[in-house]
Amino acid sequence: MRKTLTILLSITITLGILLSACQTTTAIEEPAITVVVSNVQSGCVADYEVAVDYFPNKAQVEYAQGFRIEYYSNYKVLTVLQPWSGAEEPFSYVLVQCGTPAPENTDGALVVEVPIQSIVTMSTTYYPHLESFGKMDTLVGVDDTTYAYNETVQALASEEKIAIVGGGAGGGAVNVEALLDLGPDVIMTSASGIPDYDSHPKLIEAGLPVVINADYLENTPLGRAEWGKFIAAFYNLEAEAETLFTEVASRYEALTALTDSVSEKPSVFTNTDFQGSWYVPGGQSYAALLLKDAGAAYFWADDSGTGSIPLSFEEVFDTAKEADFWLNVGFASDLSGLLAMDERYTEFKAFQTGNVFNYNKRVNMNGGMDYFESGVANPDLILADLIAIFHPELLPEHEFVYYQQIQ
Amino acid sequence: MAEEVEKNKTLTRPLPPIRWWMFSLLFLGVLIAFTASLALGSVDIPLNNVFRILTGQIADKGTWADIILIFRLPKTITAILVGAALSVSGLQMQTLFRNPLADPFILGVNSGASLGVALVILGFGTTGSLLLAGLGLFGDLSLAVAASLGAGAVLLLVLLIGRRVRSPITLLILGLMFGYATSAIVSLLIYFSLPERIQTYTTWSFGSFGGVTWSQLWVMVPVILTGLGISYFLPKSLNALLLGEEYARTMGLNIKRTRFWIILGASLLAGTVTAFCGPIGFIGVAVPHLCRSLFNTSDHRVLLPAVTMMGAIIALLADVIAQLPGTQYILPINVVTSLFGAPFIVWVIIRQRRMKSTFAD
Repeated sequence: MRKTLTILLSITITLGILLSACQTTTAIEEPAITVVVSNVQSGCVADYEVAVDYFPNKAQVEYAQGFRIEYYSNYKVLTVLQPWSGAEEPFSYVLVQCGTPAPENTDGALVVEVPIQSIVTMSTTYYPHLESFGKMDTLVGVDDTTYAYNETVQALASEEKIAIVGGGAGGGAVNVEALLDLGPDVIMTSASGIPDYDSHPKLIEAGLPVVINADYLENTPLGRAEWGKFIAAFYNLEAEAETLFTEVASRYEALTALTDSVSEKPSVFTNTDFQGSWYVPGGQSYAALLLKDAGAAYFWADDSGTGSIPLSFEEVFDTAKEADFWLNVGFASDLSGLLAMDERYTEFKAFQTGNVFNYNKRVNMNGGMDYFESGVANPDLILADLIAIFHPELLPEHEFVYYQQIQ
Repeated sequence: MAEEVEKNKTLTRPLPPIRWWMFSLLFLGVLIAFTASLALGSVDIPLNNVFRILTGQIADKGTWADIILIFRLPKTITAILVGAALSVSGLQMQTLFRNPLADPFILGVNSGASLGVALVILGFGTTGSLLLAGLGLFGDLSLAVAASLGAGAVLLLVLLIGRRVRSPITLLILGLMFGYATSAIVSLLIYFSLPERIQTYTTWSFGSFGGVTWSQLWVMVPVILTGLGISYFLPKSLNALLLGEEYARTMGLNIKRTRFWIILGASLLAGTVTAFCGPIGFIGVAVPHLCRSLFNTSDHRVLLPAVTMMGAIIALLADVIAQLPGTQYILPINVVTSLFGAPFIVWVIIRQRRMKSTFAD
């Protein structure tokens, strides 16, 4: 009995492999099972069949804490567990394969037909993902281009091929009328939970398909990068996103492994004072974790916070006067610019030895830094920069991407 | 007629018995607050070490001397200057406009300063940093220079227009309008700016003594002393104004000239403070009331030195509380002055009724 079953199974599998080689969606005569070999990447399904799994490529979320994807035969449910810091309820989105019926009870969740063909973005952190998926041609509008580093976006904007609709962090209030006119499949935005700043309440009210992306709330570099899979779900590009992310993650892990064995961990502090207040990143924050993985000794690494800690200048001075490195000095592009902010910076050893680095190597004409844009999708590149700063002997051939030494 | 005689009596009566013990107490208070401000902070430095450092001896830990000499001492001196300047400025404005709610910024100097700072911080992307670089001429004064330029521009406008208008109420409304216009521009800049830049601007607007360095004090000290100097020449004119402009005029007071000097002195003080420390509220309104109540007088010959010292004490204490001694954290100055100061001042004023007799016509 068991033998018969095994034989039957192997026949089925062989059939399946043969069929996938043909790259077709064919129904087998007997029994009636349709095999779809990959997610539909353009257009709709012509003949919907109940028994078919239309999403054979499924995303596995490993690092990101903020979202979840559940797959059903012809739709998937994307849940943003924490749309903003302190949010009480998750937001869910039902992504239905185009050409198939939407589930009946969606409990008020937004229903989006996928793959989508047009998107409006309200954060620059989505550009690198769209770019690597080859989906920049679906971008029909953005919040603002002043601080965008991405060259494709700048080119599209100057050719007036994309609409500027406001509503992001730096673009003023959202232009609901322009968005209604544009009619995109999805408007992706971040949310703060403060109604005066957020665009999504107005957009929901207008019946527009707004999706909240909470990538910035992830505290781990890889968690933040993994939101690429969230965006990919709207294009049925799970397989591509998985490949890309796995590469980033394995490079990141390999780099972290490089610094595991370093004996000397140089001490480092970050940011600058402003009028007596010095905000340093908490020990479990994105910035602090990058420093830890790069094999540096960050002074506030034992702090349990994920946000920033407001300190006094004298506290930072007392702690970090003899520190080896000083990083992330904000808007300053040279040492004299730093001195112009406060002459007391000369007292730091790192300033005297010139070990001051900033993430402003790639910056656009308005001061928009690519570190905050493509850096989010490429934490391995940031980490490589940091390792080259702290342990140049580990990466002797490294060319800096985001960081540069301040002269 | 009887009223006239009464007023005459008020004006010409001899200096009220100066309570020397009260002034001595105030001075002692300044000394204690000064020491507390130097000795307390987020880094724990024992008092004997503070004295050793101040007298040029070696401290137990190397960074302590730096902390006292390049962080706390300039901050403490700044607090004294700010407290004195705002209180004196507020006192003069309250008298000039005969309005208990008048503060040092009533003529719009801090709106001007805010606009200057907003242009630099929120300005047009790197245009702002270019502006900063352009101001490199002034060395480390960049933000302060922008704020001074803004405050100075408003002051100049007020002085020019002040020569043409008769009523101080007109000036008051002008100041209000400057405020609306500049805050509209600031709002516009905020509207189109990045969150981190907005945060920087917001931090500035919370006020702080800690951002002032020694080289900035070289500018701040002479300007504040000039402003205080002007004010100390005016107590008799201020007393006369308290009785109404008409009356002061009959006393032979040159109203226009007096008004010019009051506005110049008070705005110089308020503008300088805002330029270096951000808009610091509360002290300028509250300290004059507090001193009127404590000294039970509205005579400016008593009030001027009293508010100078009381302002310094309040500013120093606010700074000590803001540093939250023993913790790593610090609070914005405006939070402390308003949150801790307001209930106290309310209590003092309710107990006394000097305000009514000062401002009632």
